[in-house]
Amino acid sequence: MIALAQSMSPDDRLDLVFQALANRTRRELLRRVSAGPARVTDLAAPFGMSLPAISKHLAILERAGLINRSVKGREHSCALGAEPMASAAEWLSAYRVFWEGNLDSLARFVEAEAGRKAGA
Amino acid sequence: MDATRISLSRIIRAPRQFVFEAWTTPSLLMKWWGPEGVRCTAAEVDLREGGEYRIANQHGDGSVTWISGVFERVRPPEELVYSWNIGMPGADGSRVKVEFRSHEEGTELILVHERLAAGVRDMHLAGWTGCLDGLEAMAEAG
Repeated sequence: MIALAQSMSPDDRLDLVFQALANRTRRELLRRVSAGPARVTDLAAPFGMSLPAISKHLAILERAGLINRSVKGREHSCALGAEPMASAAEWLSAYRVFWEGNLDSLARFVEAEAGRKAGA
Repeated sequence: MDATRISLSRIIRAPRQFVFEAWTTPSLLMKWWGPEGVRCTAAEVDLREGGEYRIANQHGDGSVTWISGVFERVRPPEELVYSWNIGMPGADGSRVKVEFRSHEEGTELILVHERLAAGVRDMHLAGWTGCLDGLEAMAEAG
């Protein structure tokens, strides 16, 4: 799975990340894992979902590289994969920069026009 | 943290009605809209719930990217909610909410752009990042 993700283009990887993030349960799972590695059974507990249902969500997060799963004996645990999260944040920051710039431009235009009206 | 939305706010020293009109009137919108390297060459706004808007963004090489969507909520001069698609109209896009609040210095504008995960492909078409340098220069010249 991981090898597959690495052979993909950055855009394709980003698609996987955002598909994974576009779900409330998966965002909550990710938030919990971001506090530190956790056992799958502990992660599943607060959701009132079956273990297979949670496993499906975890598999989608894992496919996007957002978590790394490991098995020790009978214990399955999950840890945060930080790098894809950073790419997602970088992608979102482009929108932020766009809007910041656009609002700067709006403020300049509107304030100049309002000043002109007040002065007339 | 919600990784699929951004929000920002800005104090603008002008009356709320005026800011709202600048945002929604095509002839005014065309005067301020667009980052460096992009000119707003056309804008159409059907300002009612269910009405559509579209904004033409012409790049330096002459190509045009349309931003379009449908108004979900129109409350002049307080609030707008609309869908946002870059490139292909009707794509399963993101959503923009703009609030215009009266403020002692003028207007507080609060902008939330959400469901960005759904619009991820739009962003690739737009290539905003390449157009952002010098944004301020253009706005000042305008």
